[in-house]
Amino acid sequence: MKISNSLSQLLKASSIILVLLQFSCAQNKQRETIVVASAGKIESLDPAQANTLRTLQLLSSLGDTLYKINKKGELYPVLAKDLPKVSKDRLTIDISLKEDITFHDGSQFNANAMAFSLRRFIEIGTLNYLLKDKLEDIEVLEDFVLRLKLKKPSSSIKGLLTSVNLTPVSPKSYSQHRDKFNNENFIGTGPYFLKSFSSGQQRIQPYMKYWDKKPLNKGIDYINFNNSSTLFGAIKSKEVDVLISNSIDDMQRIYLSNMVKKGKLKEGKGEAIEIGFITLKSNKLPLSNKKIRQAISYSIDRKLISQQVSFGTRDPLRSIIPPHFHQKSIQPWPSYNPETTRKLLKEEGFCNSKVLTIPLTFRSNVPADRLFALTWKDQIKRDLSDCMNITLNGLESTTVYKQLAEGSFEAIILDWTGDYPDPESYLTPLLSCNLIKQEDICIEGEAVSSGSFWANEKVQSLLKRSEEIDGEKRLNTLIKVQELAAEGAAYIPVWIVKPKAWSLQNISQPEFSRDGMIILQRLKRD
Amino acid sequence: MTKRKEIFKYTLSRLALLPIMLWIISSLVFVLLRIAPGDPVDAILGNRANELARESLRIRLGLDKPLINQYLEYLNHLIHGDLGTSLNTQEPVKSIISKALPASLELSICAILIASIIGYLIGYLGATKPEGKIDLLGRIFGIGTYALPPFWAAMLIQILFAVTLGWFPIGGRFPAGMSFPSQVTGFLLLDSFLSLKIENINGAFRHLVLPSMTLGILLSGIFSRSLKLNLSKVLKKGYIESARSRGISKKNILIKHALPNTLIPILTITGLTVASLFGGALLIEITFSWPGIALGLQEAINQRDYPTVQGIVIAISSLIVILSVAIDIAIAYIDPRVSY
Repeated sequence: MKISNSLSQLLKASSIILVLLQFSCAQNKQRETIVVASAGKIESLDPAQANTLRTLQLLSSLGDTLYKINKKGELYPVLAKDLPKVSKDRLTIDISLKEDITFHDGSQFNANAMAFSLRRFIEIGTLNYLLKDKLEDIEVLEDFVLRLKLKKPSSSIKGLLTSVNLTPVSPKSYSQHRDKFNNENFIGTGPYFLKSFSSGQQRIQPYMKYWDKKPLNKGIDYINFNNSSTLFGAIKSKEVDVLISNSIDDMQRIYLSNMVKKGKLKEGKGEAIEIGFITLKSNKLPLSNKKIRQAISYSIDRKLISQQVSFGTRDPLRSIIPPHFHQKSIQPWPSYNPETTRKLLKEEGFCNSKVLTIPLTFRSNVPADRLFALTWKDQIKRDLSDCMNITLNGLESTTVYKQLAEGSFEAIILDWTGDYPDPESYLTPLLSCNLIKQEDICIEGEAVSSGSFWANEKVQSLLKRSEEIDGEKRLNTLIKVQELAAEGAAYIPVWIVKPKAWSLQNISQPEFSRDGMIILQRLKRD
Repeated sequence: MTKRKEIFKYTLSRLALLPIMLWIISSLVFVLLRIAPGDPVDAILGNRANELARESLRIRLGLDKPLINQYLEYLNHLIHGDLGTSLNTQEPVKSIISKALPASLELSICAILIASIIGYLIGYLGATKPEGKIDLLGRIFGIGTYALPPFWAAMLIQILFAVTLGWFPIGGRFPAGMSFPSQVTGFLLLDSFLSLKIENINGAFRHLVLPSMTLGILLSGIFSRSLKLNLSKVLKKGYIESARSRGISKKNILIKHALPNTLIPILTITGLTVASLFGGALLIEITFSWPGIALGLQEAINQRDYPTVQGIVIAISSLIVILSVAIDIAIAYIDPRVSY
């Protein structure tokens, strides 16, 4: 009797669960929007506050920029009517804007709105220094003509004008938020409008009055999980339609790539925008000795490290500027050659029972950095134990950033993603220096903030020159900067990370724009 | 003095200590955060930006002021009930807490319910039939759940029920693609019931199952062991023997004589567990991407968002103090021997 009672209760409970599960299945079948998952919460949708890739990803679909860069690396107008007109002295840029574009609140997009957005970014933007350093003033010449007055000639400002951070917002809707962030709303001109927002999930829907091509889907549900395993499980269980890779562990990337090979998923790749490198502090012995730094730069077996850390998914890199900006193969940094390392170190008195010890710091909260450090240490032990030794020290990233400019690290593993798609956004933040001492020591400038303290007069003049020229000439100048930096060997590029995204079989293959963002409006159900 | 007056006086004295306690805690947090290496500027800008830009952001966030001024300003705001605004998003800390706390409370309450049902049932059955099969299994269960690392257990449960079987969602609090029910209580399940929409109830319920089950099962081991041990001890007391000799039924002995006497330690353990859950379900919140207060606190610490960390710590501390006073009062009511 007891058993039959228990069984009947068990059956009742099971049927309730089954009914609930049926509801959930029905929901999945009815799903019309596309669910896109990425890592980490989105705390704010204000372009002035946005400083994470996930936020910029969403904003790139909610807003438009003045310009974008095509696959050939050329600027093309989006909200602007045509390419920027630069004055002869290169100190003013006139931008004509498209007419008949409306914000999601129905108000008109014009030069006043663009000026409002740029001024607001300069006033409260987290990364406002990007614009502040370059812009003197913003003028509204006509209803649809904007003039930017520059502090000094700047070729890179064109690239900066493609930045998602500078997407215009509606002055009407942001009148109460001129000097403060508007975290949970976004009123822009993009192909989607924001339907709902919470830090864990956001819904965007096609904006019917959009001026350009309409999205191919009925909306995007953008959800944010906290860890790689949950993201991985979510696409594996088909709970999400598309997965963005920015925080997926390398091990899981491999598993996902295998699923692609088996035809279970589709994979989209973007241009690599994140570089991984080692910074060597060059203002104190032993690393103030250029030959020792050069010896170290020969000692890195990038292929092995990439294989060990990421199963080869991180491409070995021998330049600071990501290769797609070059349009030709440029590799100024030397390839792996332990014999040259030994030769150079011997010339400096090492290897004959005197071993060079390099304390290498890595960010303990970045798993790839830890693996990189361990692999390099072992590789050095294998190839150069008579000359070199690496000791490891892990520190949380915020602590690392605090102490970089204080010169606390002899050698440290870091990464960098340019703030906008221009080669300059990779070189200046590492190499620029305002005050140089003893030929190659930086006292004040970006080279101090980045922890290398390395400077070179020629590099500074070439960087300055590159802002005054365009096209092929400019690219060649920046290549020359890289060659000098490679010779200085204060930075050693190691790898480059391509953004990837995976979609379920019934969803189109994810496509990326030049700045590493998935083009959400091109996602569709097959 | 009557017992009721005694308890009232005791409650008042404990509550009177609350502001002093909060002042000490908030001052400690204030100092510890500033001693920790790195500041919000480093967390926001990372290794970007030159020193000028960093300094300008530091000024904008008010971090350039002398520490004592920052502290006095903070205390002044705190006295007026203002927890400040987030340095990262400029959102009022009160609003951040009011969004995250209900999520944590919802998860904690459900987990405690599950832990109580499973744990106390196993403990009760083990104590009534000592050395039996259930007792043995209960012991293994108790030790096993106690020893399991929470994140590992959570990941196993995720893989089994979300990835392999696909019965429940892998994370989050509400299904993607559905509009949240209008916020009344902040407890999504309750708000979903109030919305009277079956898909809302289903969505909120299904998202709550895995995190609360994981947390509940992990806690149930402590509950089962504590009930079993206390009940076994009480069952060996003289007054139980005398009740048996008077011919009182086993059921009556258990319910009327033994269980009430095990309530005090049980209540204390349950209360402390609930209190610790308010701020301590971090690993479960991270694994299941549950947007609770612990996750918020962890992110705020990573971002060195001083006002948010301070605000959350104060909110959690207040809850713990209030809860511990409530437990003391409950114990005083239950046990006539307790006096204050």
